[in-house]
Amino acid sequence: MATASETTLVTTHNESGTKWWTRFLDPSERTLAVLLLMPAALLLTLIIVYPVCRLIWTSFQSLSLTSGLPATFAGLENYTLMLEDPVFWETTWNTVLITLITVPGALFVGLALALMANLPFNVKWPVRLSLLIPWALPLSFAGLIFAWFFHSEYGVVNDVLRRIGIEGVIWFNSANWAFAAICLTIVWKTSSFMALIILAGLQTIPRSLYEAADVDGAGRLRQFFEITLPLLKPAIVVALIFRTITALQTFDIPFTMTRGGPGTSTATLAMYIHQNTVDFLDLGYGSALAVVMFALSMGVTAVYLRMIRAKG
Amino acid sequence: MTLKTTMTLLLAGAAVTLSASVATAQTNLRVFVSSQHRPDVWRKAFDMYEAKNSNVKVTIETGGNTSEQQAQYLNTVMTAKDSSLDIMILDVIRPAQYAAAGWTVPFNEVLGSDAANYMKRYLPAYAEANTVDGKVVALPAFADAMFLYYRKDLLEKHGIQPPQTWDELAAAAKKVTDAEKDPNLQGLSFQGKAIEGAVCTFLLPYWSMGKQLVSDGKLSFDKDAAVKSLKLWKDFVDQGVAKKNIAEVATDDTRKEFQSGNVLFAVNWSYAWGQFQGAESAVKDKVGVVKLPAVQGGQPASCLGGWEWGVSAYSSNKTEAQKLVQYLSSPETSEFMAINASLLPQFPEVYTDADVTKAVPWFANAKPVVETAKARPVTPRYNEVSEIIRTTVNGVLAGQSTPEEGATQMEGRLRRVLR
Repeated sequence: MATASETTLVTTHNESGTKWWTRFLDPSERTLAVLLLMPAALLLTLIIVYPVCRLIWTSFQSLSLTSGLPATFAGLENYTLMLEDPVFWETTWNTVLITLITVPGALFVGLALALMANLPFNVKWPVRLSLLIPWALPLSFAGLIFAWFFHSEYGVVNDVLRRIGIEGVIWFNSANWAFAAICLTIVWKTSSFMALIILAGLQTIPRSLYEAADVDGAGRLRQFFEITLPLLKPAIVVALIFRTITALQTFDIPFTMTRGGPGTSTATLAMYIHQNTVDFLDLGYGSALAVVMFALSMGVTAVYLRMIRAKG
Repeated sequence: MTLKTTMTLLLAGAAVTLSASVATAQTNLRVFVSSQHRPDVWRKAFDMYEAKNSNVKVTIETGGNTSEQQAQYLNTVMTAKDSSLDIMILDVIRPAQYAAAGWTVPFNEVLGSDAANYMKRYLPAYAEANTVDGKVVALPAFADAMFLYYRKDLLEKHGIQPPQTWDELAAAAKKVTDAEKDPNLQGLSFQGKAIEGAVCTFLLPYWSMGKQLVSDGKLSFDKDAAVKSLKLWKDFVDQGVAKKNIAEVATDDTRKEFQSGNVLFAVNWSYAWGQFQGAESAVKDKVGVVKLPAVQGGQPASCLGGWEWGVSAYSSNKTEAQKLVQYLSSPETSEFMAINASLLPQFPEVYTDADVTKAVPWFANAKPVVETAKARPVTPRYNEVSEIIRTTVNGVLAGQSTPEEGATQMEGRLRRVLR
């Protein structure tokens, strides 16, 4: 009934022939909503929609600052070039591989850390702090620090290996070892983020469920699989979305640790985009690569969102 | 203090500040200087200029410690059309690229019809590197080339002459390292990391075989020579002449390891000399420097380095900036930098200047090396050429690909860039 009367009110208001701007002085709920959303919508258009549209437009242009020529429309040329570019395929594959290894890796380590942090310690802050530190450390710092850890001569990793009688490897001299070193670093760096989100999820699970399970005689392991894990699912999915998207955009750690070496064996798609735009100044091709990465991220997000909706 | 007096004082202060700035009409110039090339000594050169030109104030900006990192920073500034930088120092490979992008202002207007003669004063390689389609796009800051540094004391002890060919170098290195039995002593250190220096690593033997990478703007890739060049360096690693992790070694690593006494032969630029003679050097007075070896039956070749001053197209003080650059690129400043920072002169006559030969005696021997050093390909797409070569060298040295595979990949990728 309220809505009906409101509609008539608005209609009569309009028909009464008042000036258009009085609607702002006495706004109906719809105009109020539009007005309130406007600043956010404008801001988003400015910082997200416009750059993305501009990026897509640039990706159809032949625009290289080193050519000295003005930008020209090139159609799909940048995209066909990409298909024939072995480095594009290699960097995309590396990116996918890093995602497939480090996302589950960070999930398992993060889950373990969260479960440990959730144990009833008397003093909680040292545990929480040690969880926060890797997360708070800038990515490139982590990369530089671990580059020294894994240095074949001066690094602590080979030093420890030598002390326990194992001949260390020259990590950055081999594609596989360099890749392993990068993945280990990423897992170390990102599992604390996973742990923080999962820890928040853990604390929403009521103790009473475990008490009831104890009474029913369920063991620790059974409790974990029947209570903890199912109730953690929403937290885990959220953590996975964030982690997967940042994994697809991996840049800082390989950039600071190996610069993509040896050869181009540890270079990621994000690094290749950076190289083409910032180093080679080929903005057209760089934009086309960025569009591909954007599509990849969107695809992954869509899959996760569908998963959540299916659950809900 | 009453409100009234406070206001009066504030107004008076503002008036004084305003009138002061009008009176002097000062020009502030912001100059980007590479941090590895003694910004402290450049500062003194700027001070001397400020003393003579009281209306100009120069601020130095530095950043990054390799040529690539500096280029990345400058590329960002220039792409953003940022007017904060007036003058920037550029690695010899970049003036052509910056000119093509329209980021630097040519000097032709200030030099007038005399531009060609003006450029003739410099060593020919630098006149060439800074002239694009008849336009003077930058002026040389200082010269550089790669040299072979060796441990004079160790060669004398084992009765060996400085090597003329890379084979002689390998034999000498083996003889000395075998006899010294020092597990930390490396025979040869060069640049295997995927940095700009690795481009020269590849080109040294390639040029020594008499081959060119680019001629008349077209790729003239000689695959046999490329395979031989990559194999030469890989063999040094496999034979133990160079250390196994050479793919991790950057220019300054070579310098540091030689300086701490762990290297017999080192391929490096001229800047290393000053550091080897420094107070904290373990090899002070034990270092010899000669031209780089040749391949068997080839000519010795060195890689031309050096840096150039360019004036930003987005500077709001272009005329003052160009004046300052002309001062920086003068024989007087060159002499000052040679004596105080041991930067190699871009003018032939400064090498034989009495004050210079007294301060840095080895410059007399450096002149013929600089004069015959070869320039890396001059192309606006140099960054891509460089990336292809250095990642291939790095991959081959790390054992990711064989010299043959490396040369094939390099050729395929270079063809895409230099069509």
